[in-house]
Amino acid sequence: MIALYVVAAIAVFAAARAILERNTGRRFPYANVLNFAVAGSLVLLLDHPITLIAAAAYFVGSTLEANAIASTYAGGMKR
Amino acid sequence: MNTAFILGFVILALGVLSVAFVRPKTYVARLINLEIPAWGLLLIMLAYDEALALMTFVAVTAISTFVIVRLMEWRDASC
Amino acid sequence: MIFELQVVFGLIALAGALSAALLKDPYAKLIALGILVSGALPFIVDRGYLDVAIVASLIAPISTIFVLMAVRRAET
Repeated sequence: MIALYVVAAIAVFAAARAILERNTGRRFPYANVLNFAVAGSLVLLLDHPITLIAAAAYFVGSTLEANAIASTYAGGMKR
Repeated sequence: MNTAFILGFVILALGVLSVAFVRPKTYVARLINLEIPAWGLLLIMLAYDEALALMTFVAVTAISTFVIVRLMEWRDASC
Repeated sequence: MIFELQVVFGLIALAGALSAALLKDPYAKLIALGILVSGALPFIVDRGYLDVAIVASLIAPISTIFVLMAVRRAET
C-alpha cells in the first residue's frame, strides 16, 4: 500500500513541474516521468490479471505520444 | 455522487468555455481545446455503467479529430 | 479506490485541463492534454473497465499524432 502513495507523490510532483515550467523544451522529461508514474499506479490500483495488459498498453501509448511531440518540437524529419 | 461524476462536469464546463472563447484565435488551438470536453464527457459516461457506449465514444472522438484535420488541410494550408 | 488517491488524480486531471485551456504554445497544449489523459485513466481502471482503458490509452496517442500533423503544417 505504501508503494501506491509513493508513486502518487511522484505523479503529483511531475505534473506540477510539467505544468509550471516556463520553457517548453523543459516540459518533456517531466511529462515522461508523469507517464511512468501513472503506468506504475495503474498496476498497483486493482488486483486483476488484465490490469497488467492495460498498464502495458498505456505505457506504450503514452511513450509514443510524448516522443512524437518531442520529435516534432525538435524539428521533425528533415526532408 | 462519486468523484468522477463531479470531476467530469467541471472538466466538461471548462472545456466548453475554452472552445468558445479560444485565446489565440487559430484553428489549431480550437482543435486542441476541443479534446478537453471529450474527456469530461467520458468521465460523466463512466458514472453510468455502459461499457459499449464508452468504447464507441472513444473511437468516434479519434475519427472526428482525423476528419477535422483532413478538412483543415483540404480547406487551405492557412490554419 | 482510496479517497486521497481520487483527490490526487482528480487534481492532476483538473490541472491538465486548466493548463490546456490557458496555455498558448501548441506543444505545451498537447503536453497538458497528455496530463489530462493520464489523470483520467485511473478513474476508468478503478471502475473495472479494463477494455475501455486499453482502447482509450491506445487511441489517445493516435489522435495526438493527427493534431501534430496540423500543428506542423500550421507552423511552416
